[in-house]
Amino acid sequence: MTSFALAWRTATCYRARSALATAGVAIIGALLFDMLLLSRGLVDSFADLLNTSGFDVRVVAHEGLPVLRGPIHGGGRLAADLRLLPEVEDVTLVRIEDAVIPGPADDLKNVTVIGTTEQGPRSAWTLLQGADLPRSGTTPDRCPLIVTRHLADVRGLDPGATLNIRIAVPGTASALPQIACRVVGIADFAFATANEYAVATTMSALEAADTTRGPDEADLVLVRSRSSAGGSAAARAIVRVRPDLHAYSNEEVVSQFNQNGFAYFRQVSVVLSSVTLVFAFLLVGTLLTVATNQRLGEIAALRALGISRFRIAAMLLWESALLVGAGGLLALPLGGVLAWRLDRLLRQMPGLPERLHFFVFNSSAIVEHMVLLAATAIVAACYPIWLAARLPIAETLRREVIG
Amino acid sequence: MTHAVVEAQGVSRVFPMPAGAVTALRNVSLHVDRGDYVAITGPSGCGKSTLLHLIGCVDSPSSGSISFENRDVATLRESERSRIRLTRIGFVFQRFFLLPMLTAAENIELPQAEAGVPATERRQRTRELLEYVDLADRAGHLPSQLSGGEMQRVAIARALANRPALLVADEPTGELDDTTGNHVADLFDRVHADGTAILVVTHNSALAARASRRLAMKSGSLMP
Ligand SMILES: Nc1ncnc2c1ncn2[C@@H]1O[C@H](COP(=O)(O)OP(=O)(O)OP(=O)(O)O)[C@@H](O)[C@H]1O
Ligand SMILES: [Mg+2]
Repeated sequence: MTSFALAWRTATCYRARSALATAGVAIIGALLFDMLLLSRGLVDSFADLLNTSGFDVRVVAHEGLPVLRGPIHGGGRLAADLRLLPEVEDVTLVRIEDAVIPGPADDLKNVTVIGTTEQGPRSAWTLLQGADLPRSGTTPDRCPLIVTRHLADVRGLDPGATLNIRIAVPGTASALPQIACRVVGIADFAFATANEYAVATTMSALEAADTTRGPDEADLVLVRSRSSAGGSAAARAIVRVRPDLHAYSNEEVVSQFNQNGFAYFRQVSVVLSSVTLVFAFLLVGTLLTVATNQRLGEIAALRALGISRFRIAAMLLWESALLVGAGGLLALPLGGVLAWRLDRLLRQMPGLPERLHFFVFNSSAIVEHMVLLAATAIVAACYPIWLAARLPIAETLRREVIG
Repeated sequence: MTHAVVEAQGVSRVFPMPAGAVTALRNVSLHVDRGDYVAITGPSGCGKSTLLHLIGCVDSPSSGSISFENRDVATLRESERSRIRLTRIGFVFQRFFLLPMLTAAENIELPQAEAGVPATERRQRTRELLEYVDLADRAGHLPSQLSGGEMQRVAIARALANRPALLVADEPTGELDDTTGNHVADLFDRVHADGTAILVVTHNSALAARASRRLAMKSGSLMP
């Protein structure tokens, strides 16, 4: 009869106590699991979002993140130079403007217009309806547009519809003329929030629409590195040829965000996971201590019969491990469902890209969850084990008979 | 070298208490020889259980010495004393103290498993012991499904599991009616006849009468 078998039989014999402990640990463990998912979820999701854009280096004029808009002059020349680098596979220039969409009743303000030189299938959006932006020079369209689903819904737009937009010049009442664009497709934008008005067009169309800025000016240069080189090497190579610019690989962007923007989530999750662990410890520790106190006579008798302290300690440790283990396993599906619900709730916050998640499933969170709970089981068993180990046999036997 | 399984020489046991020390045993000397059957009787509080605990190696005297099979118990580590209790002493308690989650057979197997007896041998021995205490048909029953007398018989089988040299019993019939107590006393007679030394502490005069030596205690001392 091993210590584990004894613990198992005890757990199945005292069913109510075991069920209570298991349920308690399952609920507490679900919260712990969610906190572990939360601690890295946003960062993982953000990294995923950056990576799906298909570019792994961002080149900007200003130092620091989050990326500030600042004009990079001579975009065409820059792109050509960068393409010559052996570390670089492809380069796209991006320009971002604010615009107004005049309407019969209300103007839609704060519309983001993205101009891109990217050719071929775009990865920053997922086309839902219609066609993608045409390759430059293949269309007579002066201003082909991809619009977000939200904008299409609000304005009742279908592919082929005409949409007038007017670029807003910061700090001045807009004096730019409005231009008639043609909607070619409706898409979900990876970086757009669910209810953001955003449109994308070709760089040449945007340059034509905004005469206040010089031609060939970009706000952001996106670079795809060659897989043999990788993003970090490409970023270093870019800065070598253009020391006036700043290049960040996706990993650098993520790690900077991790240190700045998301530190808050990590701290919250560390505090809350510590609290949940303390609760798990108190619950299991209390139940085991009460149970051990009720069984002192039994334990003293076992010791009188020559059952070693070690065996009794191992039995109590296994008992703790069984209760915490069962609860910890149940906590995983429970925590999964809870995380899914909480994620949906949190993502309703305004201003978040639709594809960003707070809780992202990852296998290392399961490993951490198990390690933390195993440590809790051991710590929770310490006091009952100490009680059982230092128990004076004769005195306890006597007390049990008198009591 | 003596033939005594256990020998107490001039033992005293004082319990220091905040309200004043309690002297439970004063200068008691006692030996239990191989095949001996000793009963200790005396009024409540005279120190019977205290003496039994010293003899059973679960407590240490304040002064005097206990030697078990010619080894001075005071010089042994707790693990060595635990080993003696496991293999050389069998304990029977007033309140049985069977593990409630184990069946009768498993309760009897437990000390054998602790002593490292192989599983097949253990099962064979357990079957024999259950037959010995006339409970062969209750092997798979939990303590809660047994009567008090049956529980005490399982406890006696458990105490005999590792073939001890000495069986110590503190009020083994204390929780039983007369008839059931007599069954337990019959069992003790058999254990004694089969060569195991017995030290029993009891208020039950019928049980004490069966012992080959009866000692009376009073106020922490054995009466001459
Ligand atoms: N652990 C202890 N702490 C304090 N006093 C104790 C302890 N154990 C025993 N005593 C005292 O020692 C004396 C003898 O106790 P003991 O239990 O040996 O009596 P007993 O003869 O077995 O009595 P009973 O027949 O009622 O079981 C009593 O006065 C008791 O209060
Ligand atoms: Mg007593």
